[in-house]
Amino acid sequence: MDESTDTVKRTRSYLATLRTIYGKELKAFLGTPFGWVVLACTMGLQGFCLQAVLQIMSKATGEGVMYYMLSNVNFWFYFIFIFPLITMRSLAEEERQGTLEGLLTAPVTTAQIVLGKYFAAYTFYLILWLPMLLYPWMSDLGNMYTSMRYGIDPEGRIVYRLADWVGPYCILALSGAFFIALGILCSAMTRSQIIAGILSTCLMITYYFMGRVTELWGEFPAAPAFHYLSITEQISAFSRGLIDTRPVVLYLTLTILTLALTKRVVDYRRWRR
Amino acid sequence: MSMVIAEHLHKTFGRFVAVRDASFSIDKGEIVGFLGPNGAGKTTTMKMITGYLPPTAGTASIAGFDVLKNPLEARRHMGYMPENVPLYDDMRVYEYLEYRARLKGICGSSVRQQIAFVIDRCGLEPKRKNMISTLSKGYRQRVGLADALLGNPDLLILDEPTNGLDPNQIRQIRELVRSLAEDHTVILSTHILSEVEQICNKVIIIDQGDIKAADTPANLTHGLRAAGRVSIEFKGDLECVVKELEAFAPVKKVIHEETLPGGWHRLIVRAEPGTDTREKAAAIIASHSFPMRHIYRHIPNLEDVFVEMTRRD
Repeated sequence: MDESTDTVKRTRSYLATLRTIYGKELKAFLGTPFGWVVLACTMGLQGFCLQAVLQIMSKATGEGVMYYMLSNVNFWFYFIFIFPLITMRSLAEEERQGTLEGLLTAPVTTAQIVLGKYFAAYTFYLILWLPMLLYPWMSDLGNMYTSMRYGIDPEGRIVYRLADWVGPYCILALSGAFFIALGILCSAMTRSQIIAGILSTCLMITYYFMGRVTELWGEFPAAPAFHYLSITEQISAFSRGLIDTRPVVLYLTLTILTLALTKRVVDYRRWRR
Repeated sequence: MSMVIAEHLHKTFGRFVAVRDASFSIDKGEIVGFLGPNGAGKTTTMKMITGYLPPTAGTASIAGFDVLKNPLEARRHMGYMPENVPLYDDMRVYEYLEYRARLKGICGSSVRQQIAFVIDRCGLEPKRKNMISTLSKGYRQRVGLADALLGNPDLLILDEPTNGLDPNQIRQIRELVRSLAEDHTVILSTHILSEVEQICNKVIIIDQGDIKAADTPANLTHGLRAAGRVSIEFKGDLECVVKELEAFAPVKKVIHEETLPGGWHRLIVRAEPGTDTREKAAAIIASHSFPMRHIYRHIPNLEDVFVEMTRRD
């Protein structure tokens, strides 16, 4: 009894510290112009994508809006750069300013620091995709306008299913969880934000092209591994509404491994100096 | 009871030995000054005590908790102000202190209480709502100190708390540290010797990674070469006086430093530490009826200790 209350108490204080770091980091995103500039840029590019997609959709039918949006080449132009932008600051800036010393001499574990920063960055990433939730509502508005203007006309209506939105959101949230962790890892490796940003961009691009290996080399014995990693294939499956458990396992495992590695890197850099 | 115990702390950076086999202990309630030339290993030693920098060999403990094996417990007993006071420039003073207080595990109503206490103690009241990036160096230093004081830790480790401050600010910080000494153990590093002399009751002198001395200022100055030095200015027969003075037992050497305008000679008499040769010297000069206008026995201070222990020649 005594031991269990002690464990509860300790867990509670662990989470309280984690929440303190999380709150401070999230505030750094939402309480400064930086976060809003990133948000505005992403929304602008999403709008640009949507506009391009609507033109494609007027010629081809069969899939939902999100499918065309995520398989559009414009999407990758901004998707890859979101992660370095969000994460490059987190640990590199602490180290450059010297505030990491203050953090690591307070009664806080390295894991708490890494997790607090990770969850804050991930939350901000999820916020970036919130505007997309408005699309179904906008489709409804559009449909209403068409029916009012032209009478009931099934040809011009935007058809969507719930799965068209849930699927893409799942894959964005899952792959984002890993890419944010990757960005935090890069940020832990250096004291320069720029190097952290470049490094995580390179890793992201490498990961993206790993999935396209089969397009270049065709099918060969190791090809299934590349299919498994292919984010383009995952996105096209998920945005059709097909929620596959394999990417779920893949991205959760990769995220946990990357975060564990980040904790090691932060500790190692302290030991090495 | 020992607050800090350092045993054989050793730190190398590649081939460079920053701290060599440092062992010392600091008792509860002591104010300890770390002295040493730049690059002597003061900051490295302090960082090893905080546990931020793991030593290559050796151990350190705070309040009985090993800083590496039991870091969280050790850190709960310690408030640390790093050199150059790194702070988050994009936060306000109050906001920053609140964040730090919560990190240190202070919760509920005691957060506001603690912050009010440290803001009052460090004189931060007029700046509590300012952005940290707009603060002057003196105020930044105070924010760092306020941060270290949060949670009322038993041990305060202050790395160069008066670095870059003007004389008035130095005085204020000194008074603050002195007032803290009543219920805290304080370790501070500095190269302002008069400061240490005024507030510390123990001095640790480090040079080139070695601990040269760890003692009270009084004990350190006691056995110094400079301790028995007497300077005299008189007019008259130089050779005769020097001869008679050198014949006197505790005197080791008499140096004629210079001849001043008007025929005044200045002599420096070096004698055994702890002896006073003034009376005898005055008697010798008086016996020849030579006029004397100055006789002074040098009171050794920490500067002499510092110079003697750390000079390279």
